[in-house]
Amino acid sequence: MISIEVLAQVVLGGILIGGLYALVAFGLSLIYGVVRILNFSHGTLLAVGGVLASTLYATWGVSLSLMTLLLTPIFFAYGYLFFKYLLEPLSKKNHFESTVGTVLVTVGALLIMSDLTAKFAGPAQKNINIQFDTFEISGVIVSTTQIIILLGIIFLTLALHYLLKLTWFGRAVKAVTQDPLGAKLCGINSGKIKATTFAFGSATVFLASILYALSFPVDPYIGFGLTVKAFTIIILGGIGNLPGALLAGIFIGVAEGLTGLFWKPEWAPALSVILLLIILIIFPQGFQKSK
Amino acid sequence: MKSYTKLVSTIVVFFLGMGFSLNTFAKIGSCNDPILLGTTISETGPFSTLADRWRKMTEVFAEEMNKSGGVFVKSCNKKVPIKFVIYDDQSVPATAVSLYEKMATVDNVDFFVGPDWSSMGGPVPPLADKHQIPMVMANVASPNLYDRGLKYIWGTPFPVVPRWSERYFEMLGSVDPKPKTIYFITHDNPVMKGITGYWSKKAEDQGIKVIGTETFAPDTKDFTAMLAKVRAAKPDILYISSFDAPSVALLQQIRKMKIKAMDVHHAMLSGTVYKQVGDDIQGMTGELPWYPGVKGDYSEFVENVLAKSGVNMFDYIFSLGRIASYLTMTQAIERAGAIDRELVKNALYKGSFKSPAGNITFDERGFPNNGAFTVQMQQGGKVVVVWPKEAATGKLIWPSPSWQ
Repeated sequence: MISIEVLAQVVLGGILIGGLYALVAFGLSLIYGVVRILNFSHGTLLAVGGVLASTLYATWGVSLSLMTLLLTPIFFAYGYLFFKYLLEPLSKKNHFESTVGTVLVTVGALLIMSDLTAKFAGPAQKNINIQFDTFEISGVIVSTTQIIILLGIIFLTLALHYLLKLTWFGRAVKAVTQDPLGAKLCGINSGKIKATTFAFGSATVFLASILYALSFPVDPYIGFGLTVKAFTIIILGGIGNLPGALLAGIFIGVAEGLTGLFWKPEWAPALSVILLLIILIIFPQGFQKSK
Repeated sequence: MKSYTKLVSTIVVFFLGMGFSLNTFAKIGSCNDPILLGTTISETGPFSTLADRWRKMTEVFAEEMNKSGGVFVKSCNKKVPIKFVIYDDQSVPATAVSLYEKMATVDNVDFFVGPDWSSMGGPVPPLADKHQIPMVMANVASPNLYDRGLKYIWGTPFPVVPRWSERYFEMLGSVDPKPKTIYFITHDNPVMKGITGYWSKKAEDQGIKVIGTETFAPDTKDFTAMLAKVRAAKPDILYISSFDAPSVALLQQIRKMKIKAMDVHHAMLSGTVYKQVGDDIQGMTGELPWYPGVKGDYSEFVENVLAKSGVNMFDYIFSLGRIASYLTMTQAIERAGAIDRELVKNALYKGSFKSPAGNITFDERGFPNNGAFTVQMQQGGKVVVVWPKEAATGKLIWPSPSWQ
């Protein structure tokens, strides 16, 4: 018989990891929405960011705020240049060449980034091992790390949501997403918006990587699994719909936890794919309202 | 001239296409060439944390062995040096299979030593039988992998599954207060599942009730559900049967979830875990096959090899299994008296070979009888041998205060 404390503990853990999945999905969702490219190396960028942040913290004691300030622009620049020099030229090719080309470039980037990270930082798992206090509320263990991560997830979700809703950049992103030709006629440089969105997605995933490494170990090879989860989330939550992605992420996180609790934990990683198949059959539009 | 150039080009292309190497024409069993030992090491991929320094260790082993001339071969009436052919199997069984095929057909190695890990111990050994090349595998500890009727297979894992936690359970029988319950958490891997299966039965036989078993996938990061159940069950002993790297997140979350027990035991407590988890593993117990300082056959030789290759036994706990495969093969060649695959096979069959941790004795399947010591991680990352008493380097702290 499972007690209510155990159930609450599992749900809390599920919300936390689901929120982290959603953060990974945000960047991918934006990129796919605007650029229409499935970036297979997106999760690997989280792995690289997490390994980098963990190494900086463990080796030189670099504070989280300093590494955020220093590395977010670098990831932004990486995303911008990656799109500008490797992906944008492919958009001038025919549909078949462009599709195959983007898959090859992003999968190639995934493999190269993983192996280079393993070469320079080692293949072993790392995390930002800060020992925060834990406390107990009615038999449920809550750590300060979890609270920090949850606050971080809420802050990033709101910040991204309002950035896209209230700023010119956000409106331009929406315009390019909904009607690229119309946006062009209104004077929006869609090439620049696409590159900036790609860069923005890359910077977002770096912020997610810090929060991820605070709670779970990362290694150079975890990226692809996270990308698959992120794909599931954006399909369930709706492309470009950040609150929907957050909801879908939490749904998957909690469902994985409950699978471990009521069934077998080794099935939890496969759950997102199974859920995706089932829900797409029942709700082909995902959690988004049908138009 | 034109036809001459064409002929030369054709020959070059032919040899390149055949994967031409100098070893292509190496003569098997020659007294004038070094004895070629073919092996793969998991230098990259998930198992590399356990083995990434073994190429150097293997090269140093050959250097040290060859300092005195190599292995004495009676039919050559002299010592013959050894030479390793080493490839990285990338921790991938399919890659290992193709590399052993290459070593048998292109490199023409005399004998195989390795591979490691039960996941490779499944698909690789049939190749040894196919090519009739004796293979002394290293860290392949699952007994069922030796039950397939293969005739050219032996293994030197330290410890083997049926003796993995023998001394730990011996110790549990003598401690006060005695543990009454145990909970197993198992990494989804053949050897780890084998350990849990074998030792959960032994625990019951010893009067320790198994109150739960959980299995986790290697890429699991969130253990909340599993640990919430463990916490509610309040076991006296929490037994973690896992390779070191996949258990890092588990160990960190055990502390965060404030799990309490008399002892938390890790079947693969190693320096790799300590480096990644730090003081969170304080007070935990584990197994160690051997450590420098314990005297035995070849102990000085092995200590020397480890020191020169920068391998620390606690960081790389399976190093003895690896070195033992080399020691066993070289002794078998010497015993056979010839660089002859059939004679070496006969020498290995039900043979007993020397190692620093005692004699390795094979049964008719090629499975050995190797055991391990029980260790406890104590203050400041110091590893102390606590059982058996006659080999102890420190006193067992029981129940472990860090888990109270």
